[in-house]
Amino acid sequence: MALLQISEPGQSSAPHQHKLAAGIDLGTTNSLVATVRSGLAETIPDAQGRHLLPSVVQFLGKNEDGYQTVVGYEAQENAVNDPTNTIVSAKRYMGRGLEDIKEHSVYEFIQDEDSKVPRIRTVAGDVSAVEVSAEILKALKQRAEEALGGDLSGVVITVPAYFDDAQRQATKDAATLAGLNVLRLINEPTAAAVAYGLDSGNEGVHIIYDLGGGTFDISILKLTQGVFEVMSTAGDSSLGGDDLDQVIVNWIMEQAGIESPSATLQRQLHDKAKAAKEALSEQDSTLIDIDIDLDDGRNWQGELNLEQFEKLIKPVIRKTIAPCRRALRDASIDVDDIEDVVMVGGSTRVPLVRQMVGEFFETEPLVDIDPDKVVAIGAARQADVLVGNKSDDEMLLLDVTPLSLGLETMGGLVEKVIHRNTTIPVARAQDFTTFKDGQTAMAIHVLQGERELVSDCRSLARFELRGIPPMVAGAARIRVTFQIDADGLLSVSAREETSGVESSIQVKPSYGLSDTEIETMLKDSFSHAKDDMEARKLKEEQVEAMRVVEAIQAALQEDGDKLLSAQERDNIQQAIDELTKVAQGDEQRAIKQKIEEVDKVTAEFAQRRMDASINKALAGHSVDEITEGSK
Amino acid sequence: MTRKTKITDTQNYFSLLGLPVSFDIDKKRLNENYHELQKTVHPDKFANASDRERLLSVQKAAQINDALQTLKNPLQRSIYLLSLFGIELSENDTAVDPEFLMEQMELREALSQIEDRADPMAALDNILDDVKYRIKAAVSNLQTLFQQILDEDIAEDEQNKLLAEAKAQVLKMQFLNRLQEEAMNKEEDLANQL
Repeated sequence: MALLQISEPGQSSAPHQHKLAAGIDLGTTNSLVATVRSGLAETIPDAQGRHLLPSVVQFLGKNEDGYQTVVGYEAQENAVNDPTNTIVSAKRYMGRGLEDIKEHSVYEFIQDEDSKVPRIRTVAGDVSAVEVSAEILKALKQRAEEALGGDLSGVVITVPAYFDDAQRQATKDAATLAGLNVLRLINEPTAAAVAYGLDSGNEGVHIIYDLGGGTFDISILKLTQGVFEVMSTAGDSSLGGDDLDQVIVNWIMEQAGIESPSATLQRQLHDKAKAAKEALSEQDSTLIDIDIDLDDGRNWQGELNLEQFEKLIKPVIRKTIAPCRRALRDASIDVDDIEDVVMVGGSTRVPLVRQMVGEFFETEPLVDIDPDKVVAIGAARQADVLVGNKSDDEMLLLDVTPLSLGLETMGGLVEKVIHRNTTIPVARAQDFTTFKDGQTAMAIHVLQGERELVSDCRSLARFELRGIPPMVAGAARIRVTFQIDADGLLSVSAREETSGVESSIQVKPSYGLSDTEIETMLKDSFSHAKDDMEARKLKEEQVEAMRVVEAIQAALQEDGDKLLSAQERDNIQQAIDELTKVAQGDEQRAIKQKIEEVDKVTAEFAQRRMDASINKALAGHSVDEITEGSK
Repeated sequence: MTRKTKITDTQNYFSLLGLPVSFDIDKKRLNENYHELQKTVHPDKFANASDRERLLSVQKAAQINDALQTLKNPLQRSIYLLSLFGIELSENDTAVDPEFLMEQMELREALSQIEDRADPMAALDNILDDVKYRIKAAVSNLQTLFQQILDEDIAEDEQNKLLAEAKAQVLKMQFLNRLQEEAMNKEEDLANQL
């Protein structure tokens, strides 16, 4: 007799079809793309065999096909000669406002009135950091699709754990512009833990110290039987290897008596500083040669030795120790509880970093994995699971939100609604009331950060709840619900409980691109703008329709008999048959409408499936428990 | 007002995580059940599902996370147990005995002057140890109280009296937790100054 195969709920039991998925590490200095092939996760090299893609984009111009750019190594080489049109470290500007970009920059930042996002002036026009990142993502997408011989179904993109909502949203926007379907944003240290943990199968508490080009994260994870549980995370989203380079640049400028360097000289200073840093990771001293004429026509050569170098960078590395202390405290663990410390990010190659981290955690840090590749590899593994290629996988990532979320209350104070290091997804409600008699509207100001004063936190969004019926002060009950999804992205809704007036927003961060801006950017990237946009929308809707049909068929096959009456089953079948038919046509709106109809028809079924799977999850245990209980 | 309630009949965070309603928590089982549930409902398991199922999954996973956070922490667990009996804490509930308040004020004052001490770190350690000890005593007190409250044979009057006591203890514990947090913030500041 043939055995019936029953798959896990929520996972497709459709005939196994390998889908193409990739993990992308979108880094400040370098980016990578990785994929799982024949069960092995590996980074994908370019035609010259190079795995890294420098996160550098040179803008040449703009025509009807969008921006003309050079991305990667070639752009990096051109940076010295064309510093103002060649954008490096764009990640530092993601989700940031003009006033955040304090550091000395060779770029000319501008901000017009219609947009909340600063842009860099280039020969190709004014470009935002999101667009720069989109160019990098496009290059990686192309690399992956050429290597894999097909379109990517979906990608996982990594972000620093300490990225706030605006920075995460900006990353997702960049992916949209690059035409990528984002399965999930995951945190870089968590991705590293996946790559590392699955290889070694180590159970216990692991520290991931991730010092990248422009960001620093520390995460503490507990690994138990395939479950990666982040206990706490802390960091600094504007601290990284770039800062080590900067102190060397400052030193050279001081030694050489340079006061106001040209853009070209600045670029060379950074390149030479970076080279010096890399050299000093392996040798005791290095020569620095500035061959661009200085103001008085001379050149400059100098020597930097290890002792001087370490003295220069020590204050920068020390800045990473305070977050380590905070993460330990938030996880309520002692140094003794730690299994090991994993080093991630190119900057952890600097011996002093390893030494200081080792001293703090009283453990020799692990450096046996390539710190550049490990994040992309972890992301690729997660992408492979999410896209549905590994249906029997027991792996689960439980991550946390890095920063507390709150609302502005009277007197410029912040009332915290979700505390930092709360496991996501999370939904939490807080009740507020009116301040004045007859007040009919309420301004809601959402903030992210740990401090008590509004002015010390990051403003995420503002919106208004209107139409509150006039009542005496303090009588209204306004319930504000925050929800953070598995990507770490926030949505907020507000409701006046006595009247039912409701207002909800997908939080569009204060420093984010508006939907209209993204739409315009998308249009700009197509030659015959309108037709191509329509065609793309239709194709996306058709893909979505097929995804819905597949998901529901799989659900019917698993649970249709158990959870539905014959009539209900017929109704659902009829709805998806109709959707399949409509999806073959070219009416994008009709397909969209049909998808919504199918959603309504299957709502009850979805709820029953969820309840049934929850009951089943603990049912396996109850037999033992009953026996235990009756002993 | 409060009636003796058979709270075990209703759906609550304890039953959601497959545990009996009690102050005493089997941590191992709590974590295991939590993992089992998240392996079932987490959004990562629904990446290819319909929008409706994805939405449900986010909501359910969030609820289970909240249940875990509530049951894991003794103070949150106590507040939740009280709420199952219809007792809610409000901001106006500050009725704590004067002696306790005096102690709190003294500890707070010591904390605010810690930087002036010869060895601030050692002084802070003393305060932290003291607070920790008091929290431990409060937890053990709550444990005893809830054991009696949840006893099936308890008389209604007796239960109400003990619930009021538990509430007073919870209020004290809130003070202590806040103090502990402030002390730890201070510790962090001091450590970062070194």
